Amino acid sequence: MLLADGRLPVGGHTQSSGLEPALLGGLAEGEIPALVQTRLRTVVRVEAAVAVVARHHVVAGLPLQPVQDAWAARTPSEVSRAASVAVGRGQRRLTLRLWPGSAAATSLEALRTPARPVAVGAMAAAAGLDAVRTARLVAYDDVQTLCAAALKLCPLDPADATAWLLDAGSAVEGVVAAVAHLTEPGGIPAPAAPLLEQWQHHHPTHSRRLFSA
Amino acid sequence: MPEASPSPTRALRLGVAGPVGTGKSSLIGMLCRELGDTLELGVVTNDIYTDEDARMLRAAGVLDPERIRAVETGACPHTAIRDDVSANLSAVEDLEADFAPLDLVLVESGGDNLTATFSPALVDAQVFVLDVAGGGDVVRKGGPGISRADLLVVNKTDLAPYVGVDAELMAREGRQARDGRPVIALSRTDPASVAALRAWVLGVLEDHRSGGHSPVDPGPMAPHSHAGAGHGHAHAHHSHDGGAGAHAH
Repeated sequence: MLLADGRLPVGGHTQSSGLEPALLGGLAEGEIPALVQTRLRTVVRVEAAVAVVARHHVVAGLPLQPVQDAWAARTPSEVSRAASVAVGRGQRRLTLRLWPGSAAATSLEALRTPARPVAVGAMAAAAGLDAVRTARLVAYDDVQTLCAAALKLCPLDPADATAWLLDAGSAVEGVVAAVAHLTEPGGIPAPAAPLLEQWQHHHPTHSRRLFSA
Repeated sequence: MPEASPSPTRALRLGVAGPVGTGKSSLIGMLCRELGDTLELGVVTNDIYTDEDARMLRAAGVLDPERIRAVETGACPHTAIRDDVSANLSAVEDLEADFAPLDLVLVESGGDNLTATFSPALVDAQVFVLDVAGGGDVVRKGGPGISRADLLVVNKTDLAPYVGVDAELMAREGRQARDGRPVIALSRTDPASVAALRAWVLGVLEDHRSGGHSPVDPGPMAPHSHAGAGHGHAHAHHSHDGGAGAHAH
């Protein structure tokens, strides 16, 4: 519950889960639920898998760098990687503050610029989450972040955004089922989402933006 | 977290807050002009649309553009300086690391309402900026920034005759509202006021370096008291670990 709270002080309020890049790239507001589904099939599946494997590596006493490398190999845009690391650093900072001396803290001390899902996986280990809850946390947080950002970016009844979140429930569980068993960096899926990557890659070139990603 | 631990060589982090249009960016530009020759400076901006202020400052040519960083706030300028300072803290630390050693990092809040003040987890001291054109009664409305920021600036005093405001009265009411904390009635056309601002910043920097300065949280609301605790005022945070931004209070 703590880790899924949008007010967790890790810089999450600077994120729109790719919604602002998509809207600036030409996505119509009516297509937002489809964007949610596409993300859950592609980038979120990767991120949830990365978090699950990172959690396993912390619990098993393995280094996080190979997990970080596997994430980077599946995140081709340096802009996307930088946006993820910006929040990952916030996650790392909070983990070191809340669980000093833990295995997660030790792992993160060796990785100064973790990707967001790598840091989330380490934090999940510190907080005692199992793999299933870790994957659900990542997938839920992505949709929740997108829906919250939609209220700032689109003319929208807040109840509609909450309905999108509710409707995404089964797809979120699909992500969980697909990745919760993973333990090896090489087993992290690598679906391509070139349009989402392209939107995010161009995001910093837009002068009137509210979010970093 | 060793990289965030307080050290006498760490830059002074000075926040600049206040409502939209009161002259926060201009004040930062002024400080860059006045102090850029003697101090190593960095600037972090928090505009609603990310880099309006950063571009304005870069275009003003008052500081190496590389030393001006813009942080996205997700339309939450208040959150970015108070409830969750992660993004700003990372930007400040990056500036300090990239241009070490810096003397002073200025953090400009996005324009917000009268309750928006900086967390002591982000800045060591803060300036709250009002202007005469916003109306002479704003000081009387009060708020944590007006009452308890380290410095209150009443800006654009040269405009006072045109907007029917008594700038001297406004500054005097500010001093009354602040229990003697400093107020500067500022105009870029008044060299004495600019010198006073420069001297105030240098004084805080001197205190910071000598360890005599403790960040004080103006608070988001009226000062609260703890019965029997012996103090009923904004708290000085002596331990300043720059940690999570979740500052238990």
